[in-house]
Parts: sequence; structure tokens; C-alpha cells
Amino acid sequence: MEMDMDIPLPEELEWLESNALHEEEQEDFEELIEEDFEEVQDPKSISPENSKKRRLHPDVVVVEGVSKSSPDEKKSRTTASSPEAVPDEEWLRYSPREDPVVVDDGGGDDGPVAGVVEEKLLSRFASEINGPSISVTGPCGDRVYSMMRHDEVYGGDRRGLNVRTSSKGLLSEPMNVLMEKVEQEALNKALQASFGASNDPMDEAVPISTEKLWVEKYAPSSFTELLSDEQTNREVLLWLKQWDNCVFGSQIRVTSNDVLSALKRHSSVAQQNKFSDFRILSSKSNGFPLRNQNFKLSDALNEEKNNLKELWNKKTAANGSPEQKILLLCGPPGLGKTTLAHVAAKHCGYRVVEINASDDRSSSTIESKILDVVQMDSVMADSKPKCLVIDEIDGALGEGKGAVEVILKMVASDRKSAIKVGDAAEESQPGKASIKRSSRRATLLRPVICICNDLYAPALRPLRQVAKVHIFVQPTISRVVNRLKYICNKEGFKASGIGLSALAEYTEGDIRSCLNTLQFLNKKRESLKVWDIGSQVVGRKDMSRSVFDIWKEVFQKRRVKHEVKSMNSRVPGNMDFLYSLISDRGDYDLTMEGIYENFLHLSYHDPLMQKTGKCLDFLGGSDTLLQYIMRTQQMFLYVYQPFIAISIHSEIAQVGKPNIEWPKATQRSRAMLMEKKEILKCWHNKISPQISRHLSIASFVTDVVSLLLHVLSPSTLRPVALHLLSQREREDLAQLVDTMVSYSLTYKNMKYEPLLTNQREAVSDASMLSLEPPIEHFISFKDYQTGHCVLSSAIKQVLVHEIEKRKILRENGGHQPVHPSAESNSDQPLRTKDIGAFSNQTNNINSSIKMNRENPNCALTHESLKAGASQNSILRDNKCGTANGVKVKAPIIANRRSSSSSFFDRFRKLSSKGSEIPDDYQQKPATMERDSRPFLFKYNEGFTNAVKRPVRIRELLP
Amino acid sequence: MLWVDKYRPKTLDKIIVHEDIASNLKKLVSEQDCPHLLFYGPTGSGKKTLIMAVLKQMFGVAVEKVKMENKTWKIDAGTRTIELEVTTLSSTFHVEMNPSDAGFQDRYIVQEIIKEMAKSRPIITKGKKGFKVLVLNEVDKLSKEAQHSLRRTMEKYSASCRLILCCNSSSRVTEAVRSRCLNVRVNAPTEEQIITALEFIGKKEGLQLPSGFAARIAAQSNRNLRRAILTFETCRVQQYPFTNNQVVPLMDWEQYVSEIASDIMKEQSPKRLFQVRGKIYELLINCIPPEIVLKKLLSELLKKLDSELKHEVCHWAAYYEHRMRLGQKAIFHIEAFVAKFMSIYKGFLIATFG
Repeated sequence: MEMDMDIPLPEELEWLESNALHEEEQEDFEELIEEDFEEVQDPKSISPENSKKRRLHPDVVVVEGVSKSSPDEKKSRTTASSPEAVPDEEWLRYSPREDPVVVDDGGGDDGPVAGVVEEKLLSRFASEINGPSISVTGPCGDRVYSMMRHDEVYGGDRRGLNVRTSSKGLLSEPMNVLMEKVEQEALNKALQASFGASNDPMDEAVPISTEKLWVEKYAPSSFTELLSDEQTNREVLLWLKQWDNCVFGSQIRVTSNDVLSALKRHSSVAQQNKFSDFRILSSKSNGFPLRNQNFKLSDALNEEKNNLKELWNKKTAANGSPEQKILLLCGPPGLGKTTLAHVAAKHCGYRVVEINASDDRSSSTIESKILDVVQMDSVMADSKPKCLVIDEIDGALGEGKGAVEVILKMVASDRKSAIKVGDAAEESQPGKASIKRSSRRATLLRPVICICNDLYAPALRPLRQVAKVHIFVQPTISRVVNRLKYICNKEGFKASGIGLSALAEYTEGDIRSCLNTLQFLNKKRESLKVWDIGSQVVGRKDMSRSVFDIWKEVFQKRRVKHEVKSMNSRVPGNMDFLYSLISDRGDYDLTMEGIYENFLHLSYHDPLMQKTGKCLDFLGGSDTLLQYIMRTQQMFLYVYQPFIAISIHSEIAQVGKPNIEWPKATQRSRAMLMEKKEILKCWHNKISPQISRHLSIASFVTDVVSLLLHVLSPSTLRPVALHLLSQREREDLAQLVDTMVSYSLTYKNMKYEPLLTNQREAVSDASMLSLEPPIEHFISFKDYQTGHCVLSSAIKQVLVHEIEKRKILRENGGHQPVHPSAESNSDQPLRTKDIGAFSNQTNNINSSIKMNRENPNCALTHESLKAGASQNSILRDNKCGTANGVKVKAPIIANRRSSSSSFFDRFRKLSSKGSEIPDDYQQKPATMERDSRPFLFKYNEGFTNAVKRPVRIRELLP
Repeated sequence: MLWVDKYRPKTLDKIIVHEDIASNLKKLVSEQDCPHLLFYGPTGSGKKTLIMAVLKQMFGVAVEKVKMENKTWKIDAGTRTIELEVTTLSSTFHVEMNPSDAGFQDRYIVQEIIKEMAKSRPIITKGKKGFKVLVLNEVDKLSKEAQHSLRRTMEKYSASCRLILCCNSSSRVTEAVRSRCLNVRVNAPTEEQIITALEFIGKKEGLQLPSGFAARIAAQSNRNLRRAILTFETCRVQQYPFTNNQVVPLMDWEQYVSEIASDIMKEQSPKRLFQVRGKIYELLINCIPPEIVLKKLLSELLKKLDSELKHEVCHWAAYYEHRMRLGQKAIFHIEAFVAKFMSIYKGFLIATFG
């Protein structure tokens, strides 16, 4: 009954709004009124309508063929304000009196009309009314007669929600609503008093059917009865209301105030009176101003509410449905999540469709189911839109994940079409709106409420990001106890307040558990005893809590409960609690890690570090135990894990609230270790096998890396041009290059900002060269200064070129790697090899120039050229020294070298001007081709790319 | 090329550090056949050098021509196929690999590779050495299962394949495998041996070694030849005409550990312990094995410790190292040791100074 009573309210208000629109057109008044009546009348909700129409009667007014007109009526109202205003408020109290009338009218066919008519056409004398009349006694004792009128057209499509003309009235009329609510309640009471209300199965006051579980029997059926946190309730309702635009095709609806004010029921009646007075006074004016004023007043009263409303006004104006299409309620069991979802949905005029864990939740079935619910209107008698409630969504594993996926898909598609939908919101024609709705596919058009216990369940991770999340908190014990008391009274079960509060505390506010226990005791004809609670009587649920809760419990001493203390020593009780808590969760690895990373921040008294040592011993034991279990697969040993945590708890638990962080360090270090190992492994594979086979990765880090870095960055190497180096320095450099090549190390441009050491020569180079692979990272510990000297970037540049050169030399200069001792071969191969190497040398210079050009700075071009040239000379010297037979050819080579170097000199000048860049790029393919044939010599004359022809080296030799 | 590689003896004759082992091996190999070999000893003692020299002795220069392969093995293991990627170094006569790369599936590697090698026996015209050599590194890191499967394959394919195993500690190689091999213990070179090796290199490079300089390097090298030679080269690079008081560079991680040790000595509190934890994490992240961290930490602490406490601290270090090997999260155990030490040391301080 109550549910039914609730539903028409929004409609009425809408109706009122629409009337407000019509207000101005007084000419069409009569016809319009007719229609409006037809639309609104509801047999079951007579009295609210009555009252409302009464209050708003200047807007509504009039029946056909009546002598009195509305202005008259107004006048009478305003002038004789006291007799009228008093009834306005007093009426509420008298409303029960009307009920017999309503019921007598048989389904209320005539009731509403009677009410209205009585309002409009009351007269002191029955004779003044033509047609049937009814006598009404006002609160002040005045008796009046009212005309009765039959509504012929009654029974049409009066309730079609979608067939509602939406109005632009954005203003609220909180007073109406407040009044209504109060009246409703009064009516309810009266109904119950007179009929025993036995006809309504949903009503909480039904004291029958002992077979039923109390939990169901006393489930809250209206919004105000909910036990859960008011803030949450309100927000859930607000969210649901945001759907109105999409679902009912209307703009903001005044009904929300009804609910909100219902929550503020305790606000004084006096205030209401004032408001009603005011309204009546101002009712002379037209609809809009009136509303405005009312709104202002209510604004002053319920500022918060209206702010919220304005907020969602804006939101809903953009697209038909709220920003977050899914509501996710989470919290421990028994706090009334499901109940809230159901009640709130019903309150907002939805029919609840529930999918829970017992249903088939595979992806395909759930999709069709959701589509059914979300996109189709039912053809059943009550054409209420549906609201989907997916219960226990976190229990969805494997197959059940389908639900989450489907919902996410729909949300995603909704997002895409959201832009197009925008204008649909302004659609006032219900027909049109519905067409639009059906034309869109696979989008969420109905509210979906998901309910879960564990917000952080892995399956919900994606959902969490798109949904509006509400976390349920435990209701206050007193609230729970009050309700329990009430129910106990109803059931005639004797229970002391202390016992009930102990029970509630024990179950942590889980009403379901409380009620079940009470019912069970009732059946057994036992009474609730305080000392029973701790024992097996209370059915406890097997629920797991989040890891954070576990950590908190481990680190924090529980307040000693007096009940428990009186019974037995508290330690075992606490241990039981912790044991079940930890073993229910099961993830010991994570639990221990969290304890490990957080326990040092606790404040416990430990002057000799003994407790800390013990805790770490425990943790180590846990680690070895876990490892043992893993290795031997003896899973039953897991039962001993919780005791480790419990002993840690007994060592270090503190009274204050611990500051717990998620253990990241272990994971982070694991990831970094893997990364570094990978770097080493890659590098290890790159080093030539002759070296790498002797070097394991482990020993590299422990024995080699720091020394290698010392070797790689000799402090004796001066950052000067190569030809300025002494003989020994040159040898050192060659040695260094050789080492770097054999260990496949080089320098690479990094995009980091230049380090402090580098800033001295920041002029020359903005980008920094660093080792590749970055082995210097292996000695960079936090808060540690290494004694390694860093090479200047100029030297690094030189080294890069030298390394490149050496690599190419290796590849081309012969099949065997360049061993210093392997030089003593016969004449001919040496000569060819050398010359080949030489030609490559020139190529290298060529390419190095190109490389330099690509670098932003040209300053180093000169240097690298010098380096190349000096390298040439070294090579030549070397050759002359070692092989006698080559002497003859020396002049030729020298000649060639000089010419080529002069060529490059010219080339460099041009290139520094930057005019020859395109030419140079043209040269590139030619260079490439030349490189592929190592024994080809190309003689370039002039400064263009004037390649005359390829010449065989033997043609040049005598 | 670094001196470590440059002056690595290529043949058994040139070996100067473990001459006795080298001569024994030479005798063994010259018999034209050899048993399975298991080399074990600490790092930097020259196991790999010996192995390579033995191979060269057996097969000649051809062993030096190696190619590196990154091979993916597909293994049928009952219901599923496992794909494993292993890097191998192979010449015509031998294959080198590191089976512990395959993690817990190392068993399949051992079985498959030996089978494969047995199939492709080298054909030698001389008709003598009809076998290949498989060099397995880090055998002590092989799982128990792999070692067990190794034991069977060792016997089964002994006609076509010889195994040379190499590891740091023989205690983690199963008895069965050890008894099938000729065990060669390669000691860490003594300081005198290191000094001779350094002097040999110095002579080859034509360097003037001040007296006692090589000894200083050797003393600091932890009897690790590789480290000694590298340190020597580092000294050469940093400052050539050696002076007697020249700074011999240390390993960075060791210095870091000694910093940690002095941190611990300075203050004993949970807060300090937390800082120490961060530093130990740093070490572990940089691929330094936890056992070595613990060992080094112990030795650094012992340096600064009163002699009456040394025994107890050593005991606890051993205790926690044992637990560390049983467990998985090394940091728990290292930190437990640090906490224990702090507790002992603080108790000692209070008892002594009140």
C-alpha cells in the first residue's frame, strides 16, 4: 500500500507544474483542467491529491458549469485567511476522517473528485449546489457542502509515465511535499488503525505469518525506515533521481524534495505553517512568481539540498542520464545494501529486477537479461520502468565476470553516444523521447545498481573506475538496537537492551545476523542472554575482510570489551578473532609483507630492540614456512600462518591507530631487480664469447663493475685533440677503446639534463653521453657518493668515434679479430689488409663528419677529423715499422692520404658553412655501396660528389 | 681488452696459479678419454680458465671457434609443450650453457640438450674422440629434479658425451652427480699466487712495480684473482708510475655495506633499522646476491666489534643465512640479523656503560 501511495506523488507534482504553465491561459482553462484531472487521478492516493489541490487551488480550480470562478475563490481565501489557513494545516490531523469516504467510494472512483469539488465549490448551504453534494465539517466546526462530480473519462491512460507533458518548471515546492508526507503518514496510521492494514503484505506493521523470517518481515519498506547511513541513502536516491530525465523523460522533478524533506521530517511544524501561510498570501500572483518565492524560502531552509539539485540540474541537462551510469554499493554483509537499493528504486518509481549470484551469470545470458531490463519497457500492467540490481557482483568469478564486462561495454558505448544524446534531454514530447530511446542500441537507459562486499575484488577493478561508489559503514549500535527493540516488542520477545546492544556489537551491526539470532532464540523459547553472545548461538558469517583491516587489527590493540572481560581472559578471545580474520583472508604472503613494511613505524616500547628482533624472526619463520609449503605442496601447513601474525600482534600492537601503507617496496624491488638482470643479460650476450664465458652475471656485479668503470674513465686522459696526446697517452686511448669494444660498451646520447659535472663544458654539448648499456647504474646506490671520475663529454665524443671506427675495422679488416700479437703475417695479406683498413679509415672520417653534422654542434667536427687523421698516421707508422716490403708503396699511400686529407679539409670548411648538405646526402648511398665492397677505392676530387669511376686497388698498385 | 682477458692462460701449460691441478688434468686428458668432471671453487679462482684449457688440450684450436646461439627448445612434457629459450655457446666439439637460465624448467633443458648432442656425434677422421663435451655452468643452481635427471642422462649417454660441470659450491650438487664425476676442487688462489700472477702481468706490460704494491692489491682482493688483476689495471689507469701509498680502489658495493655497518653501530632503533632496510634493498636491487650482502655485512660489523660479542654475532649470522636459504624473501632474514645484532649490541652497550 505504502509503495503505491508513494508512487503517484511525482506525477502529481508534475501535473501541478504543467498546470502552472497553463495558468496564464485562463481561457482554455476549463478544458485543460478536465484533461489534467483525468491524467492525475489515482484511486489509491486520494488524500494527498486532495490536500494538494486544495492548497494550489488557484491554479487548478474550476469545474464545468459552475457559477463561481476562481478569482472569487481566491478572494475568499485571502480575505478570510484565518478560517482557511488554519484548515490548511489542521487538515492533516483530520485527514483520517476522510478515509471512510475514500473507501466507501469503492476503489476511489469518486473520491478524488469529491475532494476537489468539496474544495472548490463548497458552500454554506447544500441548496446552493446543484447536483449531488456532500457535507464536510471543517476543523473549526463549520459545516459546508460540496458538490460531487463524476469523472466520466476516468479510467483512461492516466498513469502513463512516459506520456507526461514535461514542463519547464524547475522550481521546487517543498511545502507541498512536506505536507503531503505528513498527510500520508497520518493516513497510513489511520488506515492501519481502522483496517489493521492486513491487506498490505509489504507493510512493516503486518504482524502475521510466523513462518516468515524476521529479516524479511521487518525489512524496511520505505525510505525513512532505512537503517543505513543517511548520507549514503540520500546520495543513492539523488543518483537515482538523476535518471528521471532519461527514464521518465522529464526535467528535474520536484518529488526529490518530498524525499529529502522526509528525511528532515523532524523540522518543526511551525515552520511549515509559516510557509503555507505565505503561500496562501502570495497565491494571488501567477504560478511562476509564486514558485519562485517558495523556492527562495525553501532555499533558505534547505540550502544544501538545493545546491545538490542545481548541481544535478546542470549535469542532467547535458545528457539524459547521470554522469556515472552505475552505482556501486559496497560494504560488509548485513548492513542493508540490498534493501537500500530496493527501497530507493521503488521510491523513485522503478520496478526492481534483481540478478544475484544464484542466477546464471555467464556473459551471454546476462547480456540479454540486462538488455531486456535496461532497454525495454515491460508490457505488464504496471508499466513502471525497471531498475536493475546486480547483487553480489564481486562474487562473480570466471563466468560471472560477464556481468561486469557487459555493463562496462554498455557504459563505454554510452559514452560515445553521449554527445548525440544531448538534445534528447530537452525533448518534451514523451513519444519522441521513447522513439529516440528505442533507436539507440546497447546503451544504458535504466539505472543499474551493483552491490558488492569487497570493493577491491579484482573482478571489480574496471567497474570501480566508471561507477559511482558508495561505501557502507556500520550503522550506529543505538540505531540497530532501537530497531531490534521495536521488532522484539512486535514479536513479543523479551530482550534486554544490554543484550541487544551486545548482540549488535558482536555482529558488528549486521542486522540480518541479529534478527536471525533473535528469531532463532524466539523459536527455541529462549531468552537472549549476554553471555551467550560470544558462544556459538550467534550465527556468524564467513566473511573475509580487506587486507588493510587485517593489518589494522594486527597493529592495533582492540579496546577491551567489558562483556568479554567479565567472562574469561580476553587474550584467547582476541586470538580467536584474529585467527579467523587472518585465515579467512588467506593471502598470507601479502599479509606478511604488509606487516613487514609497516611494523617499524609503530610506536611500541622496545629499548633493547628485542621485540623488533622477535617480530623479524617471526616474519622470517613465516617466509621459510611459506617456501616450504610451496616446495612440498603441503597446504595444510597454512593453518599455522595466522599464529605468526598473532604473535607479532601480541608483541607490538599499539593502542593508537596505525598508519598503514600498501606494501610497495617489495614489489618495486622485485621489478627493478628483474629489470637490471635483464639489462645485464642482454649485455652479456653481446660481449664476445671469449670474454663472456668467463664472466657470470653475479660475479660481474660483485667483482667487476666498479673496477671496470674505473678503467673506463681514466683521469689521466686529457680532453685535448688527439694529435696533442703523447705517445703513451695515445696507447692508453687505444687500449681503452679496445676494452670498450671488446666489452661492447659505448657512449650514447641520453636525453637527460646535463649533470653538474657536465655543466662546465655545457657550452660544447647540451645532450649528455652516457654508457650504453648503463652499467654505471649498478653502483649508484642511494645516499652514496662514488669515487669515479667522469670523463668530459669531449673525450666521450672522441671515444664514440674511435669505437665506431674500431668496430668497422674489426668487421672489415680481416676475418680474425685484431690481436696485437697476430700481426706477424706474410707481406701480401698485410698490405691488402692495411690498405683496406685505410680506405675504411677515410670512409670513417666521411661518416664521422656526417654524424657530426647531425649533431647540433659543429665544433667537434674538427676534432674528430683530427682524430681520424692522427689515426691514419698511427696506422701508417705502424705499418712501416712492421713490414719492410711495404715501404715501396708508402709514398703512394702517403700521397693519396695527403690528397684525401686536403680534400676533406676543403670539405669540412664547406660543410661548416652548411651549403653542401644536400650534396652530402646524395653521397650517402654511394658510400654505402662502397662499404659493401671493402677493396674498392673511390677517388673523389673536388668538393662535389664528383665520383669519376670506381677503380680497383690493384690498378693503382704498380 | 682488459688484462684479465688478455693474460688469461689459454693452455694447461701456461697456467701459473693452479699448476698442480693443471698438470694432473693434462695427464688425465692425454689418456685420450676423460671422465665427467666437476669443477668447484669460489669465484675468481680460475675454474673457467681451467675448463677452457682442458678443452683446448683435448680438441685443439678448433674449440676456440665458437658461435653463440639463442635457441628455442620445444619440449613435449606430457600434455603440453614447453618452450624454453637458452643461450648456448658451441663449437664443433663442445657446447657451453647455463641451464639455470631456464628457471624451474631446467630439467627439460638438461635432458633435451644431452639427447640432441648424443644424436649429433662429431665425426672425426682420426676416429678417436667420438664424443662431445657439454659444459654446464652454475650446476649448484640447478633444481633437485634437474640434477636427478642429469644423473640418468650422464650414464646413458656416456659413450657420446662428456660433461664438465662448474659450480661454486659442491654442497648443493647432489651426491649422485658428484659420485659420477671426477671432482676438481679449485681453491681460491693464495695471496702469494696472486702476487706472482700480478708480477707476471706487470713484467709483460713492462711496468715498474714497487715492492709491496702487488701484495697490497692481493691482500685487498679477497683472494679473487679476477678482482686482483682488475684492481691492478685500475691502479695502472689511474696513476702510472706506481707509488707505494697509492689508493687501491675498492668495490663500491663493499663501501656501501661498510656504510651500512657504521650506521648500525651508530644507532640501534627501529627507525634506524628502517633506514638500513632501504639501503639493503638498494644492494639487492643491484643484483648483489643476498648471501654475499649478509657475509660482507658480518665481516664489516666484526671489524668494529668487541671481541666478546664476535662469537655470538657470527652464530646469528650463520643462523639467519641458513634461514635465508630456506626462505624466499632474503630481506626478511638480513633485516632479522640486523635487528638481532642491534639488540645484542645495545644490550652489551648498556651492560658495559650503564
